[in-house]
Amino acid sequence: MSTHTAHTDGAHHDAHDHGHHHETFISKYVFSMDHKMIAKQFLITGIIMGVIGMSMSLIFRLQLAYPDMKFPFLESIIGQWGKDGKLDPNFYLALITIHGTIMVFYVLTAGLSGTFSNLLIPLQVGARDMASPFMNMLSYWFFFLSSVVLLSSLFVDGGPASAGWTVYPPLSALPKAIPGSGTGMTLWLVAIILFIASSLLGGINYITTVLNMRTKGMKMTRLPLTIWAFLITAVLGLLSFPVLLGAGLLLIFDRSFGTSFYLNEIVAELAGGIERVGGSPVLYQHLFWFLGHPEVYIILLPALGITSEVIATNSRKPIFGYRAMIGSILAIAFLSFIVWGHHMFVTGMNPFLGSVFMLGTLIIAVPSAVKTFNYMATLWKGNLQLTPAMMFAIGLVSFFISGGLTGIYLGNAALDINLHDTYFVVAHFHLVMGSAAIFGMMSGIYHWYPKMFGRMMNNTLGYLHFWLTLISAYCVFFPMHFMGLAGVPRRYYANTAYDQFDVFIDMNQFVTIAAIVGGAAQILFLVNFFGSIYRGKRAPQNPWHSNTLEWTAPVEHIHGNWPGDIPYVYRWPYDYSKPGAELDYIPQNVPDSDQNDPLDEPKAVHFDLKNTTLPLVETKEA
Amino acid sequence: MKIVTSVLKSLVLVTALFSFSLTAAFAQSAEEGEKLYNANCTSCHAINEKVVGPALKNVHTKRKEAWLIKWIKNSQALVKSGDAEAVAVYKENNESVMTSFENLSDNEIKSIIAYIKKESEAPAQAAVVPTGTSSTDASATANPTSEVSDTLKTSINWLIIIILVLLVMVIVLVLDILGKVGEIQGKKVINWNGINAKLMLAFGAIGIVASAWEIWEHGKLTVFNQTPASTHGAEYDNMFMITLIITGIVFFITQGLLFWYAYKYKHSSKRRALFYPDNHKIELIWTVIPAIVLTILVVRGLKTWTDMTGEKDPSSRVIEVYGFQFAWNARYAGEDNLLGKHDFRQIGVINALGVDTNDVKAQDDIITNELHLAVGEPVMLKFRAKDVIHSAYLPHFRVQMNVVPGLPTQFGFTPSLTTAEMRQQLNDPKFDYAILCNKICGSAHYRMKMKVVVHTKEEFKKWLAQQPRLVNKSTPAAQATAQVETSTETKAAN
Repeated sequence: MSTHTAHTDGAHHDAHDHGHHHETFISKYVFSMDHKMIAKQFLITGIIMGVIGMSMSLIFRLQLAYPDMKFPFLESIIGQWGKDGKLDPNFYLALITIHGTIMVFYVLTAGLSGTFSNLLIPLQVGARDMASPFMNMLSYWFFFLSSVVLLSSLFVDGGPASAGWTVYPPLSALPKAIPGSGTGMTLWLVAIILFIASSLLGGINYITTVLNMRTKGMKMTRLPLTIWAFLITAVLGLLSFPVLLGAGLLLIFDRSFGTSFYLNEIVAELAGGIERVGGSPVLYQHLFWFLGHPEVYIILLPALGITSEVIATNSRKPIFGYRAMIGSILAIAFLSFIVWGHHMFVTGMNPFLGSVFMLGTLIIAVPSAVKTFNYMATLWKGNLQLTPAMMFAIGLVSFFISGGLTGIYLGNAALDINLHDTYFVVAHFHLVMGSAAIFGMMSGIYHWYPKMFGRMMNNTLGYLHFWLTLISAYCVFFPMHFMGLAGVPRRYYANTAYDQFDVFIDMNQFVTIAAIVGGAAQILFLVNFFGSIYRGKRAPQNPWHSNTLEWTAPVEHIHGNWPGDIPYVYRWPYDYSKPGAELDYIPQNVPDSDQNDPLDEPKAVHFDLKNTTLPLVETKEA
Repeated sequence: MKIVTSVLKSLVLVTALFSFSLTAAFAQSAEEGEKLYNANCTSCHAINEKVVGPALKNVHTKRKEAWLIKWIKNSQALVKSGDAEAVAVYKENNESVMTSFENLSDNEIKSIIAYIKKESEAPAQAAVVPTGTSSTDASATANPTSEVSDTLKTSINWLIIIILVLLVMVIVLVLDILGKVGEIQGKKVINWNGINAKLMLAFGAIGIVASAWEIWEHGKLTVFNQTPASTHGAEYDNMFMITLIITGIVFFITQGLLFWYAYKYKHSSKRRALFYPDNHKIELIWTVIPAIVLTILVVRGLKTWTDMTGEKDPSSRVIEVYGFQFAWNARYAGEDNLLGKHDFRQIGVINALGVDTNDVKAQDDIITNELHLAVGEPVMLKFRAKDVIHSAYLPHFRVQMNVVPGLPTQFGFTPSLTTAEMRQQLNDPKFDYAILCNKICGSAHYRMKMKVVVHTKEEFKKWLAQQPRLVNKSTPAAQATAQVETSTETKAAN
């Protein structure tokens, strides 16, 4: 179907009025209000930030593996911070800080959630666009501005913020304590405030669109799990980001206006000539982690949502326990608000409070386990199409298991005493939230690339990218657990001051080499991603034989998404391999023969556990 | 610090009075300087190489003594005053602020400079003889041959990486060509579905074996392979092992099944997937079982946690651990087991820790640069920070507590293995316990440590008796000569 003719034909539809504006390059590609274009903007900005963040990690990994060696090329990249090829200890701290900030906020929050919420929410719920396309555009531009401010802090006097991505005061409040707490820290705070504005503008839009703009028949219980995940993520962001905003503002006051919200017993000489008494540094930590812990799920839930969709589609099976999946998302989201204290077990908080936080934290393992088992039950007796997207989704499940299990150690207040702030923590969160979320993002990119760019990505490159990334990610992060168990602290420029850590010299080198291989593997992805925009095979309308509504829209992007009426929805999105059906998938907009009103339920299928022999039916290709 | 100052002053005075030769005075001063240097300077500086701050070799010839004293006491004041040299040094070191040492007297700084002078003038020796102090960098002691082999090893690593990259490029090219050939011929040359499924199986199998190997092999390097050095450590390790076993079982089963399914149920056009959307019974089972297992872990964990953090023996010896950029001090509460008052405004003014010397409770306090403990004797560590958050981490004792400015924190425990016993267990005669800083605190965070020594009770008593009290009724001069007898003196005073 030629979508352009369809588009002009559909001119009499009210919903298409905005499609008539004359589009200039600026309005189409730059200040676009189309959710699909905004999604691409988020994604490409996210990828650029990701490349920067990962390159930073490679620089400090070199330092960790070869603390006594000189790398003359460093001087040409980072200038004064790499004099004689030696990384400056202050700049090491700046690198880990900016690496963390970029990865957590710019890649895995904006890059992941921003991209896929924007792309999929209107398309999968059956809406012409977001509830407020203008706010949606603002959301991207705040994010863009925020990225620019953060990156500009790399070039200021004293260097960028260096107090760790959590920027605990007093270190982040006293410029005398570390050079990065000067202008660099101010820019960091400005960047984060812009980021929060972006996130809130996006979040309100996502929630409104999902709740109000579903097409006829799209009951909440017929929403794809991606949408459920994006919805709950947006709610989490909306409730928690303002708290970080508050925390950041108070930190700005402490830094610039001489207040003492977070400072106590600091002499005037250290704090810009004004003695600071009466505040509490731990207050900041409470406020920060009130965002910080839900933030983990803001990152993870969209990745899990994408995985649910990709695994179901490519297993050619309904997702197992759809309602249990929604229930566990809700449970995880609720619990994520009452467990922030597990980041603070050793701050000296009342031990009773520690017990409460420990209880809540370990309960999260239950809905997480349910999700994992449901994924595996979905794979069981499926007919797995091992596309790159599917393999990345399986990789996510693997990381989610590995990283989730180490969470049981860290969530235990008693065990946290000896593991807190060691490499065990680094290993844990890089697996469960770093690698898992990146794999979710990759899975989403490979799966919806045809939707985004109208072309297919190269599968061969995709397979290689997956295998190299999976193996190197495990080689990087798995050994780190043992360094942590031996008491090696994180954020150390070198372990040379402690003879007892000399046993890990080889391991550190191994990890760095694995990281370089993993980094190089991403070049395959970049080549594939950008190359396929121009050279990829043209995509068919529904390349994965998927049920969700976005695949009923034409390949070429048009304003308003569907040329004619918005399709009605007659069923849930997981009717894969339904007995009695001719094809092994039934898209959501296909009614059953006796189904006249979209709100009626389609025919139920009887199934039971005894009937586990796989039906030998020739699958007809669509 | 004050006591050290007076000791030093008196030493200088005494030596002058009894007109020892100048060289002897210099040697004495360098010896004192070495102690001060090790206590105050090594977290950021080394003689022969740049660490966090610049190398100190020949600093006495590069800068004037008066300038050095000003700089060490308060480098920022000097920079602010517009001193061109100071501004240049500040800029050269990327505007990293050097800690101010206003508590050091002019004479103490001079003795540190004397020590640096002595070390600078003996470079050949320093390069050949490995220095005994543990804080010196490995590279300082590395001999030329090992350096060469290191570079060789690294260039081999680089070579391997380059070869790998080339290999990947070749593989991509070949596969792409094969794919195109397949397209032309109209049939698949490479069955990716089968290959990926087999790779999934292989990854699962190799991964499980490799992680089991690593838990076994690298587990030996962790502190859990050693007897804990504190009494609560046993309960801690017990909790750890229970968690390890439970999570280990879940890890191997779920990962195994995941990759097995990925292989077993690979795509086949001959069959259809099983339509099996729900089963409440199964759903219930795998909600309840994790819930039960976690209940066990929570109950057990809460018990361990309350045992570790709960009420402690009130007779525990009270020791203050004081953290600042980038070192630690310990303050013993003395005979009364009560710490004297302190005031953050007086830090570096009356003494290094700002302890009020007029407070009766403070007068028997003892300030040291190392933490000495007695085996089997409960201690209550009280933490205080000067500038930013630090964290006192003693992995061998399963102890960690944040050290927060303006927020008192504490941790009570009982050491159960002496340093000597731990050395024997680890088969490492040079091993020492340490407090590591485990909260990012600035450029020299990674070098901020304090040696911890666990003695037998008798040794500890002896050691403590030798330490000078914060305020001593006897005159500084007498104290200097009678330093060895302090123990009997204090006993008499009581």
